[in-house]
Amino acid sequence: MYLYLPVALTSINVIIPVGLGLVVGLLSGLFGVGGGFLLTPLLIMFGIPATVAAATDSNQIVAASTSGTYAHWKVGNVDFKMGLYLLVGGFLGGLLGVQAIKILKATGNADFVIKITYVLMLGIVGTYMFFESISSMKKSKNKTAETKPAKESGFTRFLKSLPMQTRFEKSGVTHSALLPIIFGGFVGVLAAIMGVGGGFLMVPVMVYILRMPMHVVVGTSLFQILFNCIEVTFLQAYTNHSVDFILAVLLLIGSTLGAQVGTALGRKLHGEQLKVILAGIVLAVTVKIIFDLTLTPSLLLGQGGGH
Amino acid sequence: MNMKKYAVLLLALTLSVLGLAISAGTASAQLTATANHDNIKIDFFYHGSSVSVKGVSDADTDLVIKIAAPEGHESLKQKGKVGGTLWMNVGTLKLEKVPNLYTIHSTKKLEDILEPAELEKYVIGYPALSRHIEMSPVANDGEKAKWFDEYVKYKENSKLYATTSGKIEIKKGSDGTQQYYILTKWPYQAPPGDYIVTVYAVKNGKVLEQAEAKVKVEQAGIVKTLSGMAKNSAAFYGIISILSALGAGFGVGLVFRKGGGAH
Repeated sequence: MYLYLPVALTSINVIIPVGLGLVVGLLSGLFGVGGGFLLTPLLIMFGIPATVAAATDSNQIVAASTSGTYAHWKVGNVDFKMGLYLLVGGFLGGLLGVQAIKILKATGNADFVIKITYVLMLGIVGTYMFFESISSMKKSKNKTAETKPAKESGFTRFLKSLPMQTRFEKSGVTHSALLPIIFGGFVGVLAAIMGVGGGFLMVPVMVYILRMPMHVVVGTSLFQILFNCIEVTFLQAYTNHSVDFILAVLLLIGSTLGAQVGTALGRKLHGEQLKVILAGIVLAVTVKIIFDLTLTPSLLLGQGGGH
Repeated sequence: MNMKKYAVLLLALTLSVLGLAISAGTASAQLTATANHDNIKIDFFYHGSSVSVKGVSDADTDLVIKIAAPEGHESLKQKGKVGGTLWMNVGTLKLEKVPNLYTIHSTKKLEDILEPAELEKYVIGYPALSRHIEMSPVANDGEKAKWFDEYVKYKENSKLYATTSGKIEIKKGSDGTQQYYILTKWPYQAPPGDYIVTVYAVKNGKVLEQAEAKVKVEQAGIVKTLSGMAKNSAAFYGIISILSALGAGFGVGLVFRKGGGAH
């Protein structure tokens, strides 16, 4: 069955957005990512204008992350305190990032910088997560003793010396309140420059820098993604008129269900397994983007917006 | 306000009827054109439509049917190689005097039935269109030709540009006239607006006469309401979109709990 999308000004087979929503929702519930890095390019591939694809995607993520946050909250996997600090940082970072984009655009090679930043970030994060989780899976199998303390002492000591130390009960960690704000801000800057939600960056920051347990990371990441996407959806609808309500509804039918299934599935997997799979997906997307960049495109002209 | 609109419409109708009457009055002119589907409504289940054009012309003429949107402008991102290896957006191509939709159907190949000067004059066919439109930034004719080819590829990909020859059905009449008919697919990618169907009767390389019909495409029902809301009450539309998403997310969460799916 085909439906006409009033803002995208195109017609689409309903199976496509519902199916895509299901897959992306599953990823949300499993890994705590919004999935924009996957969904937006897929929507563009199916003929949705780039600006509408990005804006509608954020509207859809509001639904998927509500569904996912709710499911994770029920099993006690959302650290609201950490989420709030990250949000404050992310908000400030977003403001900075938007300014950075303006400067980049003025210098004339914004697209180049954005693409390269995106590929590097995905590649570095994916590779690091992949090898780190493989090696820690091996370690736990071999039951070798902890070898970490000596390695991380310098960095840990520095973190402990920061002011405003506070306890995050749910995550079972103590950090300076500045830490989530600064790193939330860092992710916010990059996310704004790359035009994505930044879940794939936020998750590793929480795992490796804030040292939160993987299952709490997923719930908390969804919680802060929810608020980011509410803000983005409103701005996109208000300033760009680019949110397609019908497309969003079709996507969220799939993604809200997918998020529930993902959450249930995630509880059956170990944190390390989750990390390896997420790393695999991030690397696959990196390879896909590299192909897009190097193979001659079939069309040399396209609509503006998005990338 | 409405009265004014109707008055303008009525005037336009009268004028077009008069125009037809005048052209029908001249000696050899019998060309007529009607589109079956002059008001296409884009509703919730719209997936494109079909438009047929038919009419009567002199028996020994060839026919060219042009369906086009009014000329406008368009900006598109250009992809190019950066550093010799990476494809990315390198600039913006601006086009002026360019129709968003442009389809040409002819009884025979255009260059076999029309002189170059006539093709040029009536902007019939891609080569004539390429010389008619304005494009920037392009350094020389070679570059313009290259980007025009890319533009046509882009438009053909979204079904907005097309050319065919030999697909117009002709039925000869006994009275020195012929009836022509073509059924074309109307692409769902074509946005709301007024489109003009122009039929040219051609003989000895020249356009003898022409007739026009209109295709109006407009949104209706939910599609119209939503697209109007997205533009005119953007804040409200944004809030509704967010609340619906929140509601759906919570709703599904609750259903799953009640269903006992989670533990």
